[in-house]
Amino acid sequence: MMSVRADLHVHTALSPCGDEEMSPPAIVDAALAAGLDMIAVCDHNSAGNASAVGEAAGGRLTVIAGMEITTVEEVHIVGLFPTTAAAANAADEVRRSLPPADGDYTRFFGEQYLMSADGTVYGREPHALALATVLRLDEAVALIKRFGGLVVAAHIDRPTFGVIAQLGFFPHEAGFDAVELSRHAPAGSPAAAACAAYRLPVVRSSDSHYLEDVGCVATDLTLEAPTYPELVLAVKHSRGRMIADA
Amino acid sequence: MNLESIARNLDLKSLTPDLPGADGADVTAGYASDLLSDVLANAPEGGVLVTLQVHLNVVAVASHAELAGVIFSSGRVPDAEVIAKAVAEDLHLFATDADTFEVVGRLFALGVSSGRGA
Repeated sequence: MMSVRADLHVHTALSPCGDEEMSPPAIVDAALAAGLDMIAVCDHNSAGNASAVGEAAGGRLTVIAGMEITTVEEVHIVGLFPTTAAAANAADEVRRSLPPADGDYTRFFGEQYLMSADGTVYGREPHALALATVLRLDEAVALIKRFGGLVVAAHIDRPTFGVIAQLGFFPHEAGFDAVELSRHAPAGSPAAAACAAYRLPVVRSSDSHYLEDVGCVATDLTLEAPTYPELVLAVKHSRGRMIADA
Repeated sequence: MNLESIARNLDLKSLTPDLPGADGADVTAGYASDLLSDVLANAPEGGVLVTLQVHLNVVAVASHAELAGVIFSSGRVPDAEVIAKAVAEDLHLFATDADTFEVVGRLFALGVSSGRGA
């Protein structure tokens, strides 16, 4: 077994709120500098830069392809997928419901850059990723699971877009595999203590939109290897794989 | 004015027609929000909530806040599971095609306010 330090929620310049400096090679460099072994690329309602970040990593860092879906309740949930193809297919279904990103939208929310592994901008995402999809929470959870993904309740300690802020109570029946604490809920904080009641593994993720935030908090995993199947085992606390207490 | 009268005045569709009590106590206060943590913290006991959220947690929150009823605006209608849970919690549900602004305006004209004054 080995110790793996993972930041399972990192945005790229594809997210309109993500800094333009969040290019695939820059994210990889920042992650390595922060001592991370694994990151998950989770852009809003899309997964268009995930494979480029994986390519930029070139085996120096495990890159999980993820997506942060905004449900119709304006709850943010993170999907972590077994392959970039699974993430891309899931994202195709998610983006479909979003209106086009026109000039006014881009002025207000920011550019949505599609980048190649060397950081070159090769296109712009045409859908308005910052908006809520038409998917209800249960539909979004089912969609992620249909593509073999893990479902994480994003930044549940936050006053905006967290499942508790939006829905008042933690929805135990929703089918989450894990809950995510943000950098704003350190160990011993009330939000961290409240997680015991959810009876789910807790991950700590940076939700980075800027390079300097990559790895500012992270999750310590005990795995046989830094791979997606091993991450799944850790989330299920199976066969000796585990997630360290948050 | 009780829930039955409010529903008649605003032309609301009852989603819980078999649940008794809509002709009961007067409802004099209300709240409008789609952020359920805000509803939980601020909705007045015995009041009516106007929201377009149709998630099951609306029932949990409304029940915890001891609301008399919920009006779903903009044509949104919750699943049967949510309605059944509301019946079990003795919570009256209504639906309307009118949007939240319109519903709240009509409620205010009927004398239903936030209960906090201006």
